[in-house]
Amino acid sequence: MGNIVVFFVLLSLGYVVGRAAERNHFKSIRKRERRYRNILCFSERRPPPDLTLPVNTILVSGNVVIAVDYFKVVAAGLRSLIGGQVHAFETLMERARREAILRMKEEAKRHGAKLIINVKLETASITKGQRQQARCVEVFAYGSALVSAQEK
Amino acid sequence: MKYENPSIPEGINYSNNHPLQDLFLMLLVFVGCIIISIVMLFTLTAHLAKNIPFSTELALAESLTFSASDDGERYPELQHYLQQLAEQLARTEQLPDDMSIYIHYVNDATVNAFASLGGQIYIHCGLLEKLPNENALSMVLAHEIAHIKHRDPIVAAGRGLSILLALGSMLGIGDNSMSEQLIAHVSNITALAYNRNQELEADNEAIQSLLRRYGHLSGSVALFQILQLQKEVPLEPPEFFSTHPLTESRLERLSALAQSSPGGVTPLPPNLMTSINCE
Repeated sequence: MGNIVVFFVLLSLGYVVGRAAERNHFKSIRKRERRYRNILCFSERRPPPDLTLPVNTILVSGNVVIAVDYFKVVAAGLRSLIGGQVHAFETLMERARREAILRMKEEAKRHGAKLIINVKLETASITKGQRQQARCVEVFAYGSALVSAQEK
Repeated sequence: MKYENPSIPEGINYSNNHPLQDLFLMLLVFVGCIIISIVMLFTLTAHLAKNIPFSTELALAESLTFSASDDGERYPELQHYLQQLAEQLARTEQLPDDMSIYIHYVNDATVNAFASLGGQIYIHCGLLEKLPNENALSMVLAHEIAHIKHRDPIVAAGRGLSILLALGSMLGIGDNSMSEQLIAHVSNITALAYNRNQELEADNEAIQSLLRRYGHLSGSVALFQILQLQKEVPLEPPEFFSTHPLTESRLERLSALAQSSPGGVTPLPPNLMTSINCE
């Protein structure tokens, strides 16, 4: 009986707190994305051909780890019994990807870069739980920022 | 070639379903699966439990401690009388040879009687003092003996146990020692719940054996009148046949049968009845 009470307390706590955190995070992501819109990101390996200025390249990266709330763990656990799209983890991955790219852009901005090429994303799940459940997700974004050689 | 990062619309990488709606749907499927498996377990255990040898049931019953007390030692004559009557009825009912009946007299005022594991029948003083004649007492005992003959106690215990175990393992509570704890827990459920069908079959069996013994059903109807009165008393704890919503229809059925075959009523031994005093 006690187990069930604890379970529901954790579930509703996870839902309320997790959802509020997610909403705030998305808000902040959208705000910062607008701020860094002038920094362009591409997965192209080579710089744009019309680039004429001499540039230096700097490796820039952004890294984020986001934990799963209890509600998402339960929802995903139930989903793993039934099968289908794990809606609970979709928003989580979206947040992690966008946040990692933003952090990479922030670093590029510190170097005065306007363009990042060869952008790649790496994903890892860390903190395996008791039953080998992923409780945290890490997204690492990296790329080559092109910094004008003349300005330096 | 123009290089640009278009602004990507929101919500294209994730579904906008409300998470609670998602969870609710999944829970619905999950609970549905549990219900289906429980129904399957129910039917399966009913079939399997009937094949458990009576000797095994006896051994199980001996290992359990029942919460109901047995005051038969304080009333040896009454105990003897009840046991004799039960054994005669068991013979009338053609109880298989390997089965045995043991009556426990419980000296308290609750209006109750029930059959339990290992051929044990508990009859409470409250019910006994309300019974007007031997025919009604025989009806009670024959009904309980019929439960034992039909293996209802072991089926009910098996059902209860398998469902507790299934729920326990599905919800992930408990460990290997769980089953032992559960068996001990089931032992506390002295009054095992039988379903309508089991009750009806026990009734039919009891009616048959009463007809064989007395040739009529005259006095037995009284039992159901008592039970019906009992139902109208509020705040009674779960009592004799409380799982039994059929008292009225049983009464009608029995009254019809009793009228079709009238006969004399056998009284209860008066000296025994005056000696009992419910606590």
